Amino acid sequence: MNRSLSLSLPSRAWRIRGGLGCPTLAGLAILCGLFGSVVAAQPPDRIAAVSVTPDADEDQRPVVMPPLADRFGGPGVEEVPDFQRHIGPLLGHLGCNGRACHGSFQGRGGFMLSLFGYDFATDHAALIDGDSGRIDLDEIAESLILFKPIDAERHEGGKRMDLDSWQYRVLSRWIEGGAEFSGEIQHLEALSVEPAELLFEGAQQQAQLKVVARWADGTLEEVTDLCRFTTNDDSVAKVSQSGEVTSGDIGDTHVIIAYDRAVVPVPVMRPGDLDPLDLPQPPSSDHPVDLLIAAKLDKMRIVPSDLCDDADFIRRVSFDLTGTLPPAERVERFLADDSPGKREVLIEELLTQPGYAAWWATRLSDWTGNNEAQLNNYLPIRGLATQLWFRWLEKRLSENVGYDEIMEGLVLAQSRMPDESYREYCETMSEVCRTGDTDSYAERSGMPIFWARNNFRTNEERAIGFAYTFLGVRIECAQCHKHPFDRWSKDDFDQFAVLFSPIRATPNSTAPESAREMRRMTEEITGGENLRGGDLRQKITEALKEGKVVPFPELTINAAPANRNRQNRGRPQPNRQGKILGESDQVVVQGDPREALMEWLRSPENPYFAKAIVNRVWANHFGIGIVNPVDDLNLGNPPSNAPLLDHLAQGFIESGFDLHWLHRHILTSHAYQRSSVPNASNVNDKQNFSRHVPRRLPAEALRDAIRLATFGAEEESRARAELSGLAISGVLNAERRGRGDFALQVFGQSTRESNCDCDRSDQSNLLQSLYLRNDLDIHQSLSQRGGWVEQATAAWEPAGASGRMEGRGSRERQQLIRRFQTFLDLPPQRQQQMRPRLVRELQQVNRRRTQNELEPLRFADLMRSARESLREAGAPTGDSEPSQVAAAAGARSATGTSVAAVPQSEIDAVVRAAYLRTLSRYPSADELTMAREYMQDSESPAAGLRSVLWALLNTKEFVLTH
Amino acid sequence: MTTHRTCDGMARRDLLKAGVLGIGGLTLADYYRLAEAGEVQRPLADRAIFIELGGGPSHLDTFDLKPDAPDNIRGTFRPIKTNVPGIEISEHLPRLAGCADKFAILRGVSHTLAAHELGRQYINTGNRPIPSLVYPGYGSVVANQLETPLDIPANVAIPRVAQGPGFLGLKYAALETNSAPQPGRPYSVRGLTLGGGISLDEIERRQGLLGKLDRRFAEIDSDRHLLEGLDQFGSQAYAMITSKRARDAFDLSKESPAFVKQFGDDSFALSCLLALRLVEAGVRYVTVQLGGWDTHQDNFTRLSSNLLPKLDQGLSGLFNGLDQRGLFDSTAVLVSGEFGRTPKINERSAEGGRDHYPRCMFMLMAGGGVRGGQVIGESDATASAPLHEAFSPDDVAASFYRNLGIDPEIEFHTETGRPITLVRNGRVIERLFS
Repeated sequence: MNRSLSLSLPSRAWRIRGGLGCPTLAGLAILCGLFGSVVAAQPPDRIAAVSVTPDADEDQRPVVMPPLADRFGGPGVEEVPDFQRHIGPLLGHLGCNGRACHGSFQGRGGFMLSLFGYDFATDHAALIDGDSGRIDLDEIAESLILFKPIDAERHEGGKRMDLDSWQYRVLSRWIEGGAEFSGEIQHLEALSVEPAELLFEGAQQQAQLKVVARWADGTLEEVTDLCRFTTNDDSVAKVSQSGEVTSGDIGDTHVIIAYDRAVVPVPVMRPGDLDPLDLPQPPSSDHPVDLLIAAKLDKMRIVPSDLCDDADFIRRVSFDLTGTLPPAERVERFLADDSPGKREVLIEELLTQPGYAAWWATRLSDWTGNNEAQLNNYLPIRGLATQLWFRWLEKRLSENVGYDEIMEGLVLAQSRMPDESYREYCETMSEVCRTGDTDSYAERSGMPIFWARNNFRTNEERAIGFAYTFLGVRIECAQCHKHPFDRWSKDDFDQFAVLFSPIRATPNSTAPESAREMRRMTEEITGGENLRGGDLRQKITEALKEGKVVPFPELTINAAPANRNRQNRGRPQPNRQGKILGESDQVVVQGDPREALMEWLRSPENPYFAKAIVNRVWANHFGIGIVNPVDDLNLGNPPSNAPLLDHLAQGFIESGFDLHWLHRHILTSHAYQRSSVPNASNVNDKQNFSRHVPRRLPAEALRDAIRLATFGAEEESRARAELSGLAISGVLNAERRGRGDFALQVFGQSTRESNCDCDRSDQSNLLQSLYLRNDLDIHQSLSQRGGWVEQATAAWEPAGASGRMEGRGSRERQQLIRRFQTFLDLPPQRQQQMRPRLVRELQQVNRRRTQNELEPLRFADLMRSARESLREAGAPTGDSEPSQVAAAAGARSATGTSVAAVPQSEIDAVVRAAYLRTLSRYPSADELTMAREYMQDSESPAAGLRSVLWALLNTKEFVLTH
Repeated sequence: MTTHRTCDGMARRDLLKAGVLGIGGLTLADYYRLAEAGEVQRPLADRAIFIELGGGPSHLDTFDLKPDAPDNIRGTFRPIKTNVPGIEISEHLPRLAGCADKFAILRGVSHTLAAHELGRQYINTGNRPIPSLVYPGYGSVVANQLETPLDIPANVAIPRVAQGPGFLGLKYAALETNSAPQPGRPYSVRGLTLGGGISLDEIERRQGLLGKLDRRFAEIDSDRHLLEGLDQFGSQAYAMITSKRARDAFDLSKESPAFVKQFGDDSFALSCLLALRLVEAGVRYVTVQLGGWDTHQDNFTRLSSNLLPKLDQGLSGLFNGLDQRGLFDSTAVLVSGEFGRTPKINERSAEGGRDHYPRCMFMLMAGGGVRGGQVIGESDATASAPLHEAFSPDDVAASFYRNLGIDPEIEFHTETGRPITLVRNGRVIERLFS
């Protein structure tokens, strides 16, 4: 879009480009509490948009007061500066209220200011404190706030200003005027910054920002000298404390300007030096997403990469949308398909697959904090709560229920369904817990377990967690001090947090009308014995397993706000009031405040709810959000492409919060389908979506991909259809220490514990490489009986060898052998205790095997195998005797056919298959030759293929997206 | 290049993500340079072993006995003399009594977190836990700060580590063995021991094949950081798997029977032996866990018949073994649980037990510059509180880092760019080193 326009830019050092098409007013950064351009009916305490007629005559425009530096430039000034408008910001500008200085929580040198100076009353009190000598109305020059900052010797914080500088005069005049503060907070209506956007043509160029404040009384004042300026990337742009911006490297970032309660980001760009016309042009697209991205890329003189090929596309979209490695067969079919709309068809197909719901239930579990460790003891069966949570989400995702509706099921969750008695509720839940029937739980309208987490109990935890999950906003800063880069004050935080006080969801909470029934059920179980804590829980679990109906906790809403302070307990409490984040209307905390919260979330004007999920989905597909960090939407952390985020959020809301629409809209864009091969203009670009940026596959997807690539045919198709044994099915997690899945732990599955998208890690590390190269998991996957390698080479093995294959049955045997190995690891005493359990397990397996007409497994045989493989694994493998272990493996291969006897075409076919099932592409001619030659040099076809598959699993291409 | 802002207004490039050794603080080279210039004291140890007594061991029944206290506090154990005049410890620790000149006893260490998890986090990091941030355990900090050869893991935990790498990132996570050596059984580590029937020859052949096939990103100029990182980890993994010394270090059968004998024949003792072999091979930090100290019931039987003999045998074996191998001066040792236990004996079982008690606890430190054979700090007559001065877990952490030549006040940056001082509130306990 407008490619030619951007190319014809005059080569000025910088220029103002205004969105309104009017240079003088374009720079007016619209600031409004939350809702962008809502001008009418602003509540009085909200900073509203400024409505100035664009073409007002020069002489009708209000007069802007010149900066303090001009007004206080010489002696004999009459004006008395204002505390809120001038003194507070000046102290900030001089650095007095920084974290390391007087803004520290302990203050410094006995003098304490509010961090970043948001608390005018307290700061004023600290300044005029009678005994401190900070202000001396009689001997003005002796006032410490004048005397200290001009003298590096006496001031630990060094020299901050010169004697008789304008800053000195401002402070001095304020003291002369009585050092007053009215106590009334004046309202800043808008802060305008010119230019609104900076475009640099080279390094080391300068531009001066000019900032004008507009107050509620109509005054306009230039406040550039009083603002706090920061840059979001000082390699691209540096900014001085007087608002002078200096360009640096090629790239784009924002300079953030803060004054009073306003925060304004100004985009700063330094485009590359290359002429875009010299570069190969990718096909054009009129997809709205592509047009919005092109607008930014044009400014940056970046030409996007070409589109990726079909092999890259099917692999990429399968992982991103379903967390699953595509089946080799589907890859082949896709590559052979020459219909023009095949990518769109594939996207539609993937949206209906079980992997889609499972993968997004995994992601939503991350964002909603589905963490078993925090749900300990909430249900009588360990580990079930997290699965109920997962399955509840998964069902709705598979039916493509609107995102707002899914979230409503969490926000407004009740334990009992409408018209359900406590008894009926307990009957259903007992049945669910006894049978592990997660499906019937998923039928329930709400999912109250969300509220029952141990780390989501106090009002503050809920405020932080709620903002994280539904808004993608981090408000923890405001728990103690004003958020440095957003508008949130401690008061905003406290008023928001109090809204959560009536909600109770502990393992013991029940509604008053259920209490009697609950007692009766409990007594039935305990026989009237007064049991508590763990003893009671144990009894309940036993009763449940015996088939009894046991009591369950309920989420309840306290009619009166809970008062946890012991001393005040029992005293009547006045109704407390709170405020929804960023809203000015008070909400009385009575009844269920969640209704109001949900209504607010879902409102089309909500500035966060849609953007948060849109940004998260975008980040899932691109590895980087439009806002980064993804869960940190705030004024000082602007989107890299604001129109794009707005467009997606708007479209998502209009679609009825339809997640399928969102995926489709993103994935069909050229932006998503770009190649990872860069060109000269975008090689360093990571944030403008001009190419595919490789990243490591998520933990679950990678672990599952190893399984799927090595499973035999039968097991693979079962896993794909039922997700059995796959991590995206939600049954495995890394957290359970010692019992968790090792691979998930090593590859950074989300810990879901700290209200941060960074709980999931896609970083690489040494343990991951050790795991992929040499873990027993990998070796066993490659050499498992009934696995792909064995199946693929079976035809070349003597009949006897292939005859022992029995598909799933042999895997069962392998699993049991591993159980036996764990058993052997136990100390003798524990072994004695565990032995009966092991026998029981074996009996169960054998019952099933008999039904499936498989030969039963024998205890002694399994024990022997387990001992052998332990010995094998632990055997000395020093360099002097490398073949000892090999001999064990060789014993099998020795019975096999020599590779020389296998026709080359057959070897080539399995190499191709190996490539398709790991890298989702055909090998190149070179690769084919190298792999074939390797196999021909190997002891047996199976040994050779194992190594080829091992090498493919260990390529960067396998672990990375591309 | 991403920049993250912090809660307090600092805007910084994401230094930690760069993942270069020592970034965010002093590199070892810097440190030595400063040491040469006399700016800081020389580092005293360059590796460490942490013995974690999970559950919270009773201080009154081990290293801080109060024989003159009332019955319901004193308990049934008697003190015995050690080889250092004036220092007495529990009668169930005779071997440690015989080498008390090797370690320093800290008494009256004190904090306020009486829950296992919180106390554990505090003790393992020297920072009182806060909800918004996970501090790194010692081992991850050491791995971040001290350079280690390619084929040797920097940070190992037997069998697991209680505190992960926190904001330093998974890269500095311990190599968890996931199992502890057992008497009479061969020992192996996941991913490191050659298993699954693969020979060294085959591994080398496979590595050759991988080198040929792993070419997809070779010619791309972008994303070098990620791609080179993966190559680096790959070669490091290969180096470790094929390194004789790395595998040998984990192979207890390589040890002489006479030397093994002084450690005794149980899992904890063998873990101590393994730790010694690992630091000898160049591993920077080893955690050894000995759990079961949560003696709410049957405190005395559990201590005297099981826990104390194990600790006595394993730990004395470690101290003596380090000494015999000439490793004592280079290896900092820290022994601690998450808290002490209540002076007053509860009545929950026939013989009574002791409950969680963080206000007064003991720790042991040894090796490096620590002067053994001294008691530092003192508790009151009933071991209920520090008598004169209290040491916090922060102080201990600062001292432990100092013993390793790591400045406790270096600043790191979290993934969101938040600046964090390594040990915010700790003062080095100078007497340890005097």
